[in-house]
Amino acid sequence: MSKISRRDLLQYIGAGGVGTGAGYLFAEAIKRPVEFLIPPVVPPEDYSPGVATWYNTVCNQCSAGCGISVRTREGRAKKIEGNPAHPVNQGRLCARGQAGLNALYNPDRIRAPLKRVGERGDGAFETISWDEALTQVAGRLGRLKIEDRADRVQLLTGGIRGHLGELFEQFITLLGSDRYAQYDFTYPANLRLANRLSFGIEHLPYYDIANCDFLLSFGADYLGTWLSPVHFSLGYGQLRQGREQRGRCIQIEPRMSLSGANADEWIAAVPGSEGVLALGIARILVADGTYTGSDRDAWQRALEPYSGDRVAAATGVALERVQQLAAEFGSSKASLAIGGGAAAAGTNAVASLVAVNALNHLAGNLGQPGGIIFNSAPVFGSATRHAGLTQMTELAASMQDGAIEVLLLHDTNPIYAMPDAAGFADAMAAVPTIVAMSSFMDETTAMADLILPTDTYLEAWGDDAPEPGVGLPVASISQPVVARVYDTRSVGDIVLSLARRIGFELPVALPWANTKEFIKDAWKKLYTELDPQADAADFEEFWLAALQAGVWGRVEATGGPGDAPAPSTIPDIDAAAATFAGDTAEFPFILHPYLSATLFDGRGANLPWLQELPDQMTSVVYGSWIELNPATAGELGIRDGDLIEVESPAGSIRAPAYLFPAIEPGVVAMPFGQGHTAYGRYAQNRGVNPVQLVALQSDQQSGELAWAGTRVKLRNTGERARVVRNDGISRTLGRQILHPEENHA
Amino acid sequence: MSISVSEALRPARKPALIGVVAVVGIFVGVWINDTYFSDRTPVQPIEFSHRVHASDNEIPCQYCHIYASRSPSAGVPSVAKCMGCHTAVADARERPEVLKLAGYWDRQEPIPWVKVHDVPDFVHFTHKRHVLAGVQCQECHGPVQDMDRITRIAPMTMPWCVDCHTEREVENGRDCWTCHK
Amino acid sequence: MRSEVDMSNVLDKLREYSKPGYYDEFDYHWTMTIDLDRCTGCEACVVACQAENNLPIVGEERYAEAREIKWIRIERYWEGEFPDVKLNFIPMLCQHCDEAPCETACPVFATYHNQDGLNTQIYNRCIGTRTCAVYCPYEVRYFNWFTYTWDEPLEQQLNPDVSVREKGVMEKCTFCIQRIRMAKDNAKDDGRRRVRDGEVVPACVQSCPTEAMSFGDSNDPDSKVSQVMNSPRGYKVLEELNTVPSVIYLKKVHDDV
Repeated sequence: MSKISRRDLLQYIGAGGVGTGAGYLFAEAIKRPVEFLIPPVVPPEDYSPGVATWYNTVCNQCSAGCGISVRTREGRAKKIEGNPAHPVNQGRLCARGQAGLNALYNPDRIRAPLKRVGERGDGAFETISWDEALTQVAGRLGRLKIEDRADRVQLLTGGIRGHLGELFEQFITLLGSDRYAQYDFTYPANLRLANRLSFGIEHLPYYDIANCDFLLSFGADYLGTWLSPVHFSLGYGQLRQGREQRGRCIQIEPRMSLSGANADEWIAAVPGSEGVLALGIARILVADGTYTGSDRDAWQRALEPYSGDRVAAATGVALERVQQLAAEFGSSKASLAIGGGAAAAGTNAVASLVAVNALNHLAGNLGQPGGIIFNSAPVFGSATRHAGLTQMTELAASMQDGAIEVLLLHDTNPIYAMPDAAGFADAMAAVPTIVAMSSFMDETTAMADLILPTDTYLEAWGDDAPEPGVGLPVASISQPVVARVYDTRSVGDIVLSLARRIGFELPVALPWANTKEFIKDAWKKLYTELDPQADAADFEEFWLAALQAGVWGRVEATGGPGDAPAPSTIPDIDAAAATFAGDTAEFPFILHPYLSATLFDGRGANLPWLQELPDQMTSVVYGSWIELNPATAGELGIRDGDLIEVESPAGSIRAPAYLFPAIEPGVVAMPFGQGHTAYGRYAQNRGVNPVQLVALQSDQQSGELAWAGTRVKLRNTGERARVVRNDGISRTLGRQILHPEENHA
Repeated sequence: MSISVSEALRPARKPALIGVVAVVGIFVGVWINDTYFSDRTPVQPIEFSHRVHASDNEIPCQYCHIYASRSPSAGVPSVAKCMGCHTAVADARERPEVLKLAGYWDRQEPIPWVKVHDVPDFVHFTHKRHVLAGVQCQECHGPVQDMDRITRIAPMTMPWCVDCHTEREVENGRDCWTCHK
Repeated sequence: MRSEVDMSNVLDKLREYSKPGYYDEFDYHWTMTIDLDRCTGCEACVVACQAENNLPIVGEERYAEAREIKWIRIERYWEGEFPDVKLNFIPMLCQHCDEAPCETACPVFATYHNQDGLNTQIYNRCIGTRTCAVYCPYEVRYFNWFTYTWDEPLEQQLNPDVSVREKGVMEKCTFCIQRIRMAKDNAKDDGRRRVRDGEVVPACVQSCPTEAMSFGDSNDPDSKVSQVMNSPRGYKVLEELNTVPSVIYLKKVHDDV
């Protein structure tokens, strides 16, 4: 037996020790990280871990007013789907509506009240407490009221409907001011005015696409952005395959929209000539005896100037095609003409829309299934304080003159959505105090002195009566689907607590503790009207039922043939020619801006799902582009992806060229939505904003900004720019993708 | 004096022995970690005893884990649920661990229990289906009613799951998409 | 087997051999129909899928490198030239082929056909060879070149019923397996062995504003999807490859006057 030397022993011990250590560490390394099970202190009602709870509320991504059901798990919102019980969207929902979760959980939300510390617009803010913020605002407003100068307070919001709009209205009136304006770029003011002129009814009627046999759309992108896209898409599905006879769709617009792509025929008419085309068709309807009304002669005289040749020359649509359209429009069992988009945003927009309305009257579509069905007025809270370009320019002048001391902002972004030439940003600089109630640091909010962060619509109480309605009275309730993510408050709560702090008669007239109480109280008053048959035993039962369903409405339809008013505009019928800012020789192209079906008017630009959603027509993501006809591009020596300088009389921007096969040669098109200088990481400094090109022109009758009335010129900068898109070679190249039998033949 | 074989191999023997000792050391290291520092029996924020509750006081499992038969997650009782009993059970009120519980309640703070039984995030496991199929809690969780501090008995690995599915002839029990999500 | 399409004898023979060999017959045969005459290309389904299935936000740079992940996308096909130009849309997603080329490709069986006629993808088994993506003629398999993250607090939206994938893993449409599983679960709760028609609604089908899509079990002759797929307009994309897709498209009607 040999002895082990001390030296060897130490070596063995060392090896054993290192091995043991290594083994220990190995075992440690393969352990899973420690996780915790943290149950709530007190479980909320409806709480069941692992099981989804759904809450019904109202979508706020556009003004269609779709009902939504939000799936929540463990108190977090997971998915937004359409509310199947809601008559507007019947369980369906568009891309923008579903991306609302990105607003709720947006990393760039304003998380606490902010006070400006640097120069205005520097973006330097410090966090303050709610108490301090509210005290400051209430103090300022209260002092003005004491000094009897409260009329120098201006409230400017987005197109708020429902009782919240009425709360704002009451608040500003009680304060002693009459200055309340709503600026919403997409508000259909021209259509409302045209409907008032044609039918004497301003609120939007129901356009019954589902039952229509022949749909003639003058620029209205009803599948993408027009009024109530989800409802109209449901109708479109019905029109195509939901019934015995497949309906036909014709789209008239200079640049193919999503609706144009789905139409059976896409007709590129000269921009601004839509009214002339409508009246050209109307003349044929009267002349060929389709219209048999007693005032036929008067119509015939009024429409005399719209002879076939003149219409063909003015619109660029061949005479036979106009005649075909007229024949089909007149002979279809149910035909319907609608107008929107750029056709409703020129200098002659109202006149064009009145002409489209006349077409419906002459073909006997009013009050008919598949035509225009008149709604009763919304159950409550229409947006009545809409401000067009005229009012906004006046407001800018008042601010410039020092007539406004406090500007209260909520959910509107005029600095982004108005041309620079309107001078709104400069005018804001002259206002001593600007208070913004916002969820996001958009361009306008960034100019504020004091920012009160608001809940998103998924965290707040509210209500809505959708417009256009669906032929029956509908009202829906907004309720919080999750607890607040940050230290924010709902805008209703802010107004109510300001009222309490200001004092005087305000707390008496606005006594509610919070928005929920206010909404509930408002519904209590409506209760008898909404529930005339008294299905519910008492108000509480009615309220709970409405809250659970997310919607309450009477089922019997209103409106019918008897309710169809006759157009009162026969003598005035005149499709005035559109005027375009900019000399034809210097600015050879007409700019056709359009609402993006993903980012809409730019409010969706801070939602990453929408930024990353390919544009439906071009497949472009994350940027701006300018569409031009390949032939035009060829003449100008412009290749796909060349950086183009687009100049109008009002301004100039640069965007990459996109050779778009479906646009008139004399027209270039750009989507709204990008080009934010603020609005969070996903939107900021991305692309360009075509509003900056729009010259200050308005519709002759309504005073609305004519955003489709500007000419531009193009210059190839010689630089290349990246357009991120995924369409590749977008031709089938004979592959069996769309029409299998054609390849077998 | 003879020449020993071991003497002859001496130069090669030493490195080999060192290697053997090191390898044994690795196993010892793993064993030490597994026995004395295992995550199977983590220390909890409160020394809650299942033996006292489930055995001594015969409280059924689903009295506290109320979601087990109706949700993927069995659920750990809320602080309010614990306090519901403990305000009533007078003789336990002054015990140090119960005082800890009361402390959480007073601070309105949730208790950060350490997870003992866990499956990876790419696995869909539902308590409901297993409970309703008549699987006893103890079949996976071990004799919980005899444990003071909860310890993981089953490996909670895929072979262990699949063996049981195979043995019980679970419908589509071996299809990947029955459990993987 | 499924829709009767006039094919040559060779294809008929091939189709006979293409019966799901491993299974005597499918338990369910989950099938989707997409009516291109209703589809408007609005992309509601794309966002629905993104929300439901935890698809990453890859960012502009990655998107420019064609590394976006969209389990369902809308493909655009132009026809003709101005002014007689048309744009056709077709939603493209995993076709859950009964003779899936991708299944033959995977060296580790991370993708295989299951008893419900689904083409599966098992993330933790996938080793990222990307062979399946090369074999797929529909190009609907997406590879995670990176571990994508969500800017806080966007991660609070993530669906807990669906795995969040990491770098190195292939992924694709699952026909919302979590919803199928949920429907089966609910059926068991009601004491039924079978799921009723209409109980499984994948996220894309649910969202569709024109009701262009339907989903169901084509083994059940009374299901809605069985009725719809027998339409004379029905066809399968790249049918000549004999992949036997489980997504049946209904051709767009062109009735130019």
